[in-house]
Parts: sequence; structure tokens; C-alpha cells
Amino acid sequence: MNRKVGYLGLGIVMGAAATAAAPQALMYVSPAAYAAAADTYRQLNLFGDVFDKIRNDYVEKPDEAKLIEAAINGMLASLDPHSSYMDAKAFKDMQVQTKGEFGGLGIEVTQEDGLIKVVTPIDETPAAKAGILSGDIITSIDDQPTQGLTLDQAVEKMRGAINSPVKLKIVRGPKKEVKDFTVVRDLIHVQSVRSRVEDGDIGYIRITQFTEQTAEGLKEAMEKLHSQIPNDKFKGYILDLRNNPGGLLDQSIDVVNAFMDKGEIVSTRSRSPDETQRFDAKPGEDLSGGKPLVVLINGGSASASEIVSGALQDHKRATLIGTRSFGKGSVQTIMPLGQQGALRLTTARYYTPSGRSIQAKGIEPDIKVLEDVPDDLKGKDDMKGEASLKGHLANGVEDTAGSQAYVPPDEKDDKQLAAAIDLLNGEKPSEIEAKMAAASPKKDAKGDAPAAAGAPADAGAPKPN
Amino acid sequence: MKKGLSYLAVGVAAGVALMGVSEGVLDAAAASANDRLTFFAEIFNKVRDNYAEKPDDDKMIKAAIDGMLASLDPHSTYFDQKALQEFQTSMKGEEFGGLGLEVMMEDGLVKVVSPIDETPAARAGLMSGDLVTRIDDAPVKGLTLKEAVDKMRGPAKSSVKLTVERGSGKDVKEYTIVREIIHVQSVRSRVEGGDIGYIRVTQFNQEAYDGVRRALEHFRADPGSAKLKGYILDLRNNPGGLLNQAVEIANAFVDSGQIVSTRGRIADQEQRYSARPGVNLSQGKPLVVLINGGSASASEIVSGALQDLKRATVIGSRSFGKGSVQTILPLGENGALKLTTARYYTPSGHSIQARGIEPDLTVLENIPDDLKGKVSSLGEASLFGHLKNGAEEEKGSDAYVPPDRDKDTQLQAAIRLLHGTKIEALRSQYPSAATVTAK
Repeated sequence: MNRKVGYLGLGIVMGAAATAAAPQALMYVSPAAYAAAADTYRQLNLFGDVFDKIRNDYVEKPDEAKLIEAAINGMLASLDPHSSYMDAKAFKDMQVQTKGEFGGLGIEVTQEDGLIKVVTPIDETPAAKAGILSGDIITSIDDQPTQGLTLDQAVEKMRGAINSPVKLKIVRGPKKEVKDFTVVRDLIHVQSVRSRVEDGDIGYIRITQFTEQTAEGLKEAMEKLHSQIPNDKFKGYILDLRNNPGGLLDQSIDVVNAFMDKGEIVSTRSRSPDETQRFDAKPGEDLSGGKPLVVLINGGSASASEIVSGALQDHKRATLIGTRSFGKGSVQTIMPLGQQGALRLTTARYYTPSGRSIQAKGIEPDIKVLEDVPDDLKGKDDMKGEASLKGHLANGVEDTAGSQAYVPPDEKDDKQLAAAIDLLNGEKPSEIEAKMAAASPKKDAKGDAPAAAGAPADAGAPKPN
Repeated sequence: MKKGLSYLAVGVAAGVALMGVSEGVLDAAAASANDRLTFFAEIFNKVRDNYAEKPDDDKMIKAAIDGMLASLDPHSTYFDQKALQEFQTSMKGEEFGGLGLEVMMEDGLVKVVSPIDETPAARAGLMSGDLVTRIDDAPVKGLTLKEAVDKMRGPAKSSVKLTVERGSGKDVKEYTIVREIIHVQSVRSRVEGGDIGYIRVTQFNQEAYDGVRRALEHFRADPGSAKLKGYILDLRNNPGGLLNQAVEIANAFVDSGQIVSTRGRIADQEQRYSARPGVNLSQGKPLVVLINGGSASASEIVSGALQDLKRATVIGSRSFGKGSVQTILPLGENGALKLTTARYYTPSGHSIQARGIEPDLTVLENIPDDLKGKVSSLGEASLFGHLKNGAEEEKGSDAYVPPDRDKDTQLQAAIRLLHGTKIEALRSQYPSAATVTAK
């Protein structure tokens, strides 16, 4: 059995833990196809030929290690947007992050078409306070263009000593507005779970990413909420997974298990049928006391977040409120490479308990509620989703339209949260939907940013079939 | 010994054939290189065995090679068999159905280096510096240059829709253009002002020297040697091409002296090209060379040599600054590698890499208001990963040539110089302000 760590993050999750466990259980392909082996030899030979020609003939002495790394990065980038190579240093950094703190800005970034793109700023970090938004493209760091940098290199540049400043140039939205930010680095705690009592009788829990500490953090949060709200008054939970880009597979399973006792949570399927794995809820782990549950999702909810919301939705354990999720239905495995770092490779797709793959489709909420987006952010807050990432794994009819990924900084303006509270207070879903759509003051006023705000329920997002 | 073909162009230009076969003598003793290859093979195998889907091995290797080459500089690329054939076709000056655009890749978009004269693209009004964002409504992002070129080519009379972003304001324009057979006719000539032989070289393909030779011979009869005041060699927006053609064309104007030298890391890339006596066809008549921000590579070899040898007066704006030589290294049935193997140096020993050639007389074109700031070439120095050349790098300059010759200030300045106006007088008349339109 190979025990590799399943990892489900979007981009580089700054601060997410991923222990690279274990032996490099390499599954060597059976020697059956000799022709295939010869073919491999031919391909590797061609590569070796090119490498040697560069070594011998290039105008300057090339850095051979850099050449190979560029080759590996090029090869992996051709597979899908989530497979990547970490050199020894990047790999070590990733492990160091398991400690849960580092000097940085607090943004999660991904690479798209060679550009560094903000997946989401992490709550209460310098980046969030400075006003950096999901979807922003970072074009230069300390006046150095990011074009040509690998994701790791860009992240490396943004990290640094606490209290040191870093200058970011950002391009925002379809109009490509250029903005300059000088952000002072801070100690970024990877505190992945936050909780509070809402409305006196509702337990609100926000998970920002699935790190090694998440299941533990959730357990503590749930215990604390139970101590704050008397059981007879406890109306239910709100699990907020908005803008949560994912993280560790096992943590997402434990999170689901904290709300239900039995049944399948998720299954993963790789290329060979015997690698299919099914993860079930373990009895006795449900900490929720059967209280009603609302899960909040949006266009920035990806991967492990989608496993959790998909499982809870399929089992009818939770009502999902918000906007369609990102649609990352693949699992990456961290494969250590000895002294040479590690490979993060897409090795499987996952399926929700009902057998659906959300890859490039996302999860549709049970109750669709859009946030009101301030005028100056209109059209800039949409997350384009997996289906629009170059080279993503295909999945039949996909949903390429963007989905809103905006959460108002002020809780009072948070319509999705308000809808969740209303539901737990007994209002009917249909009433809530109608009310939330009506409460949108500028509803339908602007036709130019249909998915952003205003228009009811993702108008403009063409629904397949 | 390696006999590859030296190639000097920006982006995909069109142009030629391969001579010789690489016998790549490899230093197998380099253990560390072997270790690296083994490491690469290990990852390749891990991906093949563990990836979520059966990967396309050929595509992976090609992506690896592309990634490796892209890390070197913007001009080194891999041609698979099909791409190689197309490259050879274009260098031979053969015909294909297309639009008539020279393009290159920049930031994942296809950038117009220059529209070729008298082609559908030029007539439709596409301009140097335009970014092609969509072809037939499909986004260009994510395509390789070759894939994009393939999409633009097609049978004559078929039409293609291009969506283009122009200038810093990113004005979006749409063009529906009907393809034609594109003759890669690289030399055009005419008599200017009754007594000047004007020769425009659009690219240095295999036909280029012959074209220049024929033009020079033609001028002996029309307007006739006695009447002929001089020549204008127009290399504006010429992205380059074959090294040997550049050397031959320079030689058509000089009798002796070094034209260019190339220096690589290995000894056989160190070569000097000198003028051969007896092939100068110019009868010693005065010569003006026109350059601008779109003049690159082989164009810079010619203008640099003629400037250093004081054979020509160079007029226009600073050239692109591509001072490297690419060699086509065949890879058997797997296509070929276009690899940067040398830098070149003008006769005075200067590398123009990332600097360009400064004209003797800077003359700027009057750019129509709606094109202001949109027709500059950023030049080699602004390409990501370009070979460095010390601290004094220079960005590009304007790359606009007015379609109407009467409004072509650079051409008019050249004519006036050949008609006897002193260069000092011209200099005071054409204030050289900033070479790049300040923006």
C-alpha cells in the first residue's frame, strides 16, 4: 500500500501543512509492453539529445541544474495547473509551514498563464488589511517583474523577515487597473479555524484552509461553542468554507466526520482501478449532536472544501448556501525525491458519495445567495474556477462561468451569512431566496457584470443542458 | 564539426534550409550531467506511472524541452518535424496561404512584429506591436506560437477573424481578413525622385541577396548609372533572417573590410565574415540605410557593418537590439533545435545586443494621433530572459512607417541627403527628441 499524503490545495497554500510521509512507493509499470519501454527510451533520448546540445553549443555556459528544473516545470505545467515540482528548499519550506507560522503577507497565490494570481488573502493578515483581493494579478514584487518566475520563486520573494516591507504591483479586474501596495510582512499564523457565537444561539465556524491542525481546531471550536450555548438553545451550526482553497484530504474527511456518524464521505479514483479508495465516516466521531448545519460556499471554495460540502450535501446533512464552488476535483500526492525536493502530482480524481465528480463543475448551493458587491469592486470579485484554468483535467460538460468569491468585510453586510442565520431560525428556503434577491438594491441595474452582483442567482452563467 | 544553419530573426520569420547534419560529439564523461538526466528520467517515469490519467508522453517531453529552452533566452526554440518543415519552407521564400504577418510570442500572446507589405494583413491595417488575443474567437492564450501561426494560415480565400489589442490603452479591434497566397518576396525596389535607387528588404530569406543584386543591376539601366545619385536600403521593420544573406547584402555595397564576427562559447562559433573583393555592385554611389525599432538581427548586422565601415549614413530610429545568432541543430527524425549559439559583433567590435544601433541621423516619423504610443517596439532589452550586455542596455524605439511615402519623413530625409542637403542641416531640422515616444 502506498501511503502518500493526499493534498488538495489550490496553488501554493501558504502555510498549509502537508507532511510528506513515507516511502516512495513507486508503482513501476509492468514490463508487459516492451514497445512502450522502447518508446520511453526514444523520448528520453530526444530529451537527452537536446540537453547535450544546449550544454555543448549554447552561447554561454548554461546552468545545468536550472535547465533540468525548467524542463521539469515545463513538463508538469503541461499536465494540469496543480502538478508542480518543489526543489529541496521549496519542499523544506512546505514542511516548515507545518509548524504554522512564517514571515509573510498572508496571501494564497496560484499561477495562471505564467502570472501570479491571488486566490485569496488570508483573514487578518497584512495582505487582507492592505486590501488585496481574490483574483488580483501580482505583476511585480519589489519592482521585479513576476513574469518568468515560478510560483515558488514568487512566493519566496514575498516571504521574508517580519516587519520588513515588500512592494507589490497588482493588476485588477478586466480593466486591468494597476495598483501599488507596500505591505509590511508579519508573522503569519496558520490558524485555520475560527469560531464565534452568532445571534446568541448559533455556532459559527470558519475554516480558512485544511492544514494538519484543522480537525483538531474544529474539535476545540465545537467544544467551545457547546460550552457557550446551552444545548437546549443551540439552533445549529454555520460552517463557513468561503474562499477556502483546500488543503489536506485526511483533514477534510475528519471535518465531515465531526458532523456525521456514518456513510461514505469521499472516494478517490486513480488510473488503475485497484487504487480506488473509499473513505467512510467512523462512528462515534460526530461532535455535532445532530444540530442543523448550514455550509457557506462561494467561487473561492475549492478542493478539500468541495469534498466537505459535497459530502454533507449528498447526505442531506447540511444545506449549502452561497455561490457555486471552484470545481477542483483532483487529488495531488506529494512524492519526496530524496535530496531533490518533491513532486506534487495529480494522482486521482475524487467523487462525492453520490458518485459525482465536481471537477471543472463545482458544487451548486442549495440556496443561491449573492453578496452585494461595492461598486468599485464590481466585476473584479469573480473567481473563474477550474474550468477556465489552462490544461485542467476535462470533465464532460463544464461550467466555465465565473462564480462570485466576495465576502463583505463587515459581517452586517454579509447576505450569505444572514441567509444562513435565517434558515437556522426557521425561515423557508424559498422565502430566503426571494428576500435575498429583493434585498439587492441594484438588482438587474447593471447588465455588464451579471455574475458579480445584482442579477438573481448567477444569471448570465449558462447552465449546461 | 557542426554545420548548422545560422539564423537571426525575431520571432517566427520566414525562411530556409538545413545544410549538413549534426554529429553532436558529446562529452559523456560529464557525470553530473548524466545524474541530471537520470533525475529527469525519474520524474518522467513517476509521472507516467502515477498521473491521474495516462499522460501523452510525447507532449510531456516536448513541454519539457520547451520549458528548458524558454529558460535560456527568448530566441531558442524547438521545432518538431512539422514546424521544421514550415520553417524551412518560409526561409526558402515559398508560398503558403496566410495573412502576411510576422509574429512573435510575448506574455503568452501573439505580437505582430510587422505586417508584410501588400498582404491582406497590411491592407486590413494591422500594425507592428498589435497583440493578437483571439483567432476566430478562440483565445490565443495557451497556444504556442506555432499553433497560433497554424490557425492563422489556411487555404487562400478562406477568411479568419482576428481580435487585436493595440497600444497601451489596449484598444480592442476586430479584423476579418481573407487569406491569400503569401509570396515571401523579400526585396522590392523602385526609383525614388528620378535618380535614387530605393531597395526595401523585408526579411533575410534565401532569396534576399538575389533580390538586392537584381535591384542593383536594374538601377544601372533605370535610372542609369550616370544619373544615379545613390541608394536607399530600407531595413525598417525587417526582423532578420539568415546570416549569410546579411553578409552577402552588406558585401554588395563594400569591397573590403570585416562585415561581422560571431563569437560563441566554443571555438567553431568564432567566425569572421569579411567582404570579398569583386562583388560590390554599388558603383561606389552614396548609400543611406533606413532603420527603426523593428529592424532586428540580420538587419542590424547589415546596418552595423555599413555604419562602422562608414559606407552608409544610417537614418531613422534606434534598432531592436538582437545581437545573438541562432543555429538550427537537426535532431534526426525529431525535428530540430533553434539554439542561440553565438553573439555577433560589428566591425568595430561592438555587440548591439539589448542596445541596438543608433542612427547617424535620428529622424522620427509623425505618428497619427490614434496610433501614438502604440507603435513602439520595446526591443530586445525588454524581452524576458534576454542575454545581458552590460549596464548600458537600451529599450526599443518607434516602429512605424507611414503607408504614404510622401508622409514618410525618414524616407524624405534620406532623399534629401542624397540630393545634397548636408547632414548638419538635416540634423537641425529633425530634432531627435526622445527616440522612444515618451509614454
